[in-house]
Amino acid sequence: MDIGRLWNYISRPDIVPRLFAVFLCLIMIIEFFVPTSYNEDQLYPKYPPQSQVFKSSLAPYDRGGVPLKIPADIKTQYPQFEPIRGRITAYLTPPAIWLSERTPYFGTTIVSTPGGILDEILYYTRGLDTILESLTLLVSFMIFSWVYLHRD
Amino acid sequence: MFLNITSVAGEFYGYIPFGDIVLYVTEFSAISFVIALFFTLVVYFTKPEKQLESQIGGFDKLNYVSLEELKIRRLMAILCGICTAFAMLTGDLFNYALFLAVIGITNIGIVSAVKKEWVLNAAYYYGIIAMISTLPLFGGAALILAKTGTLSILELAGKHQDLLFQKMLYAAGMVGETGVAPFYAAKAEMFRAPGAPYILMIHLSSLLIVIRTAEILLTI
Repeated sequence: MDIGRLWNYISRPDIVPRLFAVFLCLIMIIEFFVPTSYNEDQLYPKYPPQSQVFKSSLAPYDRGGVPLKIPADIKTQYPQFEPIRGRITAYLTPPAIWLSERTPYFGTTIVSTPGGILDEILYYTRGLDTILESLTLLVSFMIFSWVYLHRD
Repeated sequence: MFLNITSVAGEFYGYIPFGDIVLYVTEFSAISFVIALFFTLVVYFTKPEKQLESQIGGFDKLNYVSLEELKIRRLMAILCGICTAFAMLTGDLFNYALFLAVIGITNIGIVSAVKKEWVLNAAYYYGIIAMISTLPLFGGAALILAKTGTLSILELAGKHQDLLFQKMLYAAGMVGETGVAPFYAAKAEMFRAPGAPYILMIHLSSLLIVIRTAEILLTI
């Protein structure tokens, strides 16, 4: 086989995603059979699935604690950099309190995220991650809106 | 043994804590940080190049970057430069993967304003690879978290665990996101767009990211 034809084949941009997908498949097939272990001492532990259902309306995100008074039990990598960790994770806005008294599924609703349960792991201990996540979304919207507004 | 890191990156100078995400400065990352910021400034102050295309049997054609196009491309190039600079410093695997995702999308943004069909096609295919490669990238970080229980490079550096296959997956994500050799065609086509300093930022960010990923994978 002529190797020049192979090089020409992989030089087309529309071939590259296919090539990468095949490469990824190969790696992940190998990866699938590699024995690995699970470390029980996890940095951001989660409660077992379903363990909080119907016991707390904030399930599965009930971490305990009283806002600004009793800190919730949050495990972090560097506690010395987070002096007030766990203080605001149980904070609920008045509408969120009203809702959480009425439904046992409050923790899984969309209202629980903005203005409801403040996930401290997202907003305090790993705040830079959240900034970057929203930056990705913002940049993609900027590109889309520029392309949309300047279409011919 | 807090933040006691010995790495290939040279001497450890200090750290900048953002909660659990601790940026750390070594000889290597300080140099790369300065380079990335310097080129960001170059991009900010430089006017884009003009290309003169010679035509057979006709008038030569001048390709230039219009003001509207310049603004969005310069913004994207500056975002890309800042993200590259801070990706050099970050001390957290997941945070680094997120920086890579932002750099990937700003790379598309730099060329997305160019109204040339082949450039936009190449950017589209590069975008597909960048999207696919988030799976191995974040998957690799998640597998490392599951196996070792931590994401901090500073913690992982002292542990000496067998992470070969997790690292392979992480590296595969980086390969897709930056477009290393066999998957380079889409990016090479993107470089053919006019507007020199902005296009160079794509190149510079990939180069620095490749070196930095090698450093991270050798350190943990």
